[in-house]
Amino acid sequence: MKLVAACVTADPRVLAFIKSSLKGFRLEFYASAAEFLRAGPGAGLAVIDASLPDMSGGDLVSVLRGDKKTAGALLVMTGSGPYSPAAAAACFDNGADEYLAFPPEPGLFRARLLNLLSRGRPAGRGPEKPAEYKFGALLVSPDARTARIGGTALKLTALEFDLLIYFLRNQGRVVSRGVLLDQVWRAGREAGPRSVDKRIEALRSKLGRKLGAGLGTVFGVGYIFKL
Amino acid sequence: MPRRPKVLVVDDEPDYLQIAARVASKAGCAVVTAQTALEGVALAGAEKPDMILLDVGLPDISGFEAARRIRKVPALAAVPIIFFTVRSELDMVSEGLGLGAAGYVLKPFDPDELARRIKAAVSPSS
Repeated sequence: MKLVAACVTADPRVLAFIKSSLKGFRLEFYASAAEFLRAGPGAGLAVIDASLPDMSGGDLVSVLRGDKKTAGALLVMTGSGPYSPAAAAACFDNGADEYLAFPPEPGLFRARLLNLLSRGRPAGRGPEKPAEYKFGALLVSPDARTARIGGTALKLTALEFDLLIYFLRNQGRVVSRGVLLDQVWRAGREAGPRSVDKRIEALRSKLGRKLGAGLGTVFGVGYIFKL
Repeated sequence: MPRRPKVLVVDDEPDYLQIAARVASKAGCAVVTAQTALEGVALAGAEKPDMILLDVGLPDISGFEAARRIRKVPALAAVPIIFFTVRSELDMVSEGLGLGAAGYVLKPFDPDELARRIKAAVSPSS
């Protein structure tokens, strides 16, 4: 029986690469997220281009992980843009099982996919969350709730730590004050746009000048965290 | 001077409305905005935008229903619509893309990616 891989890409270079490196597989090609979703994806292997015509590959991975029919799929991202550690980390945070910058070495690509298929995905496993985040010199462990810069522990309040984790999980994305109040403050905590500004300022200060500058204000209404 | 493409942004959350409008403006577009779906449908008919950035969870009718109504206007039957939303359930994404949307962008979003998608939608040959 042939191994099956769904390949979601509109890029002819990615398509040609997959065809040549996955000989012997039964390949199903989809040129957009719409086409792929229309076909009714299941829990098999899918290779997803980071940049699709109608959706980002990372958003598609996140959507697939969130649905019970596709949560167990083996999802591999290939980024056609230049490799960046932040892009790779974001792919894993969205729930990808593997990330390979394009073009990967064909033998390695095939071996990684075969390895994933042989191991499968444990039932009921949710989206991958990295055990640690690295952002420049900053190292954050969500489980241990520790944040360090060059080995020195940061003294963050519980709210500042939650805020930092939210930004690390949404690197490069604009986050409005309203979303922060909803997702980080939640019910029962002090609330209001001024509270957000005050906490951001405190977090910036604790991160220090260089890393704190990565926490930018966008157009006066939201924030973005990127190096 | 060539005419700037016109983008209609519909979102009930003022922060996102403002951010998305700024992104579209920086992408070289003229921008009109609405905070409810029905206002958006009316504005689309009056302004004939070159593309529409449409939230899904709006207070009066859903963004999907608004898209259906907009598409019924002959002059807007093919206008590119990008859904711009926190709704990440697979069924919702399938429904949105199934309406022929040019894109589906999840919030919080990457402004550079949104700008790229807006530019691609207003000049599909680029």
